[in-house]
Amino acid sequence: MKILIIEDEIELLIAISNFLIKENYICELAENFKKADEKLSINDYDLILLDITLPDGNGLELLKTIKKHQIKSGVIIISAKNSTDDKINGLDLGADDYLTKPFQLSELNSRIRAVLRRRKFDGSSIITFNEISVNTESKSITIHDKEITLTKKEYDLLLFFIINKNRVLTKEAIAEHLWEDSIDLSDNFDFIYTHLNNIRKKFKIAGSKDYIKTLYGMGYKFSDA
Amino acid sequence: MKFLTRINRNYLILFSITLIVVTIVGYLALHLIIMDEAKENLLSREYLIEKQIKNTGEIPNLNPLIEVTKTDEGGIVKPSFKEVIIWNELEQENEVFLEYSNCIKVNNTYYLIKLRRFAFENEDLVLALAIAIFILLLSAFLISFFITRRLNKTVWAEFEHNLHAIESFSLDLNKNISLIESDTEEFERLNKVINNLTEKLKTDYLMLKEFTENAAHEIQTPLSIALINLEEILQHDLKEETFQKMVASISALKRLSSLNQSLILLTKIENKQFLFNNEVSVNEIFTRKLQEFSVLFETKALDVKIQSENDFKIGINKQLAEIMIGNLLSNAINHNVHNGNIRIYVNSDYFQICNTGESNLFTNDTIFNRFVRGNPRSYGLGLAIVKKICETHNLDIHYTRDNRHCFTIKQKS
Repeated sequence: MKILIIEDEIELLIAISNFLIKENYICELAENFKKADEKLSINDYDLILLDITLPDGNGLELLKTIKKHQIKSGVIIISAKNSTDDKINGLDLGADDYLTKPFQLSELNSRIRAVLRRRKFDGSSIITFNEISVNTESKSITIHDKEITLTKKEYDLLLFFIINKNRVLTKEAIAEHLWEDSIDLSDNFDFIYTHLNNIRKKFKIAGSKDYIKTLYGMGYKFSDA
Repeated sequence: MKFLTRINRNYLILFSITLIVVTIVGYLALHLIIMDEAKENLLSREYLIEKQIKNTGEIPNLNPLIEVTKTDEGGIVKPSFKEVIIWNELEQENEVFLEYSNCIKVNNTYYLIKLRRFAFENEDLVLALAIAIFILLLSAFLISFFITRRLNKTVWAEFEHNLHAIESFSLDLNKNISLIESDTEEFERLNKVINNLTEKLKTDYLMLKEFTENAAHEIQTPLSIALINLEEILQHDLKEETFQKMVASISALKRLSSLNQSLILLTKIENKQFLFNNEVSVNEIFTRKLQEFSVLFETKALDVKIQSENDFKIGINKQLAEIMIGNLLSNAINHNVHNGNIRIYVNSDYFQICNTGESNLFTNDTIFNRFVRGNPRSYGLGLAIVKKICETHNLDIHYTRDNRHCFTIKQKS
């Protein structure tokens, strides 16, 4: 899976690419408009991460080039501006998703996977983890081939965990993934515990192992180990 | 008081005083002149009578105007004027006369002369003249008053128009202030000063706005770098103490970022940067949010009920409506007690959200202030944002507290 990262902030560019390489993606980097434009006209990419505020041009212009030369590739806009207008604008121009800075890598990972799934680059809409199997198209979950019902938020949370398996996830990252910024939680993350309890109960009944590990009461990790 | 009213009022007062004083002084002066005239007239009549007696020996008598009597000795009366009252047979009433009496000696005979004139004649004349003065002055004054008033109105009309333009000027609207040019030098100077001032205000305001926006956005990038790196470190095998410190740092940075975003949001609402006003149904949003928030209610064991008689509709950007109701609900959850309750009431005139909770010292005047917080973990911006949204959408929000905390929102009348 080949990803082009367009981001003018070198530190961020490197951090993102390091993470994506670890997640087994092939990454190419562009730190300005000119370089990005060049790369886009030569190579094919499955996914493009696009910062729209570049020093030598507007990233939205690049989106037009992408739609011309890279019809198949998915685009996720990364922007410091959390503005609905910009979002609508970007999505109208053909971006698949819009991620606001600051974001966490686990969130980026989850968004990338969602875009790739939607664009069928992943091949299958079934994600499995041992006995658990998630059908992202029908949004259903089976354990030992038996379907279990989760609420929408529980489903989102489980998928987030499986996609970021073996990664430590903070409560903040989970809350942000579930709610984006639609609620002022006042750092009150007790509800995550409620969600996890519900999931654990349902999993136990379905005969699944408890893969959700709590780390020092402050973070979580979905892991077999 | 309006400038013109003030000028007119002063003009009226001054003129009334002048009018009264001039009329009184005129009356007195006329009185003096006419009395003098009357006395001279009596004296010339005396002279004529003296001549008549000398030439013809006839003693004229015309009671009560001329009364001449012979007398034995002279000097009994000095020449003098006085007012006397005499019974008028004809009119059957007492009348006042100006009387001149003297004793003259003609051909060695002494005559006592009493000459009289109707005093009323004089008085009437004086009065008539005084009234004439009064009327003349009054009409001159009235005419000049109305003419100046008209003139003032046209001269000040430009000023009045410009004043309106200045009053309705708003930095948010990003419109230039349009002032009428004036022939009056002072007004033109004022216009120039105002144009310069507003121009400067506008550039300063835009610069400040841009600066705030850029600063707020620029903060997000370094925050991203810090957060991503911290998140990566978190993936290593860490000791509990290190882990805790990492999580605390991430948490603090996240708080900084949401605080920043809330402030950007507030500024954007203030600057009316949200477009696309739609008719939004409060019922619909509540129903959706209650569903969405159900896990939060469950976590705090809150009993939540919505009672809706009719729908409340607002013309508002949908995202803002979601933020407003989301923040109100978050507030009702965050400041609630375990096993507490939330009651929502919606009808076509207003909607209300009430929750149980610890008592506080906030009033309707203070609770919506920025950075006023009910618990140390909140930013104190949620309700400030709600208030700002209400203010910019012609809604009125009111906080009341008895045993529950209630927020009522209604259309501003």
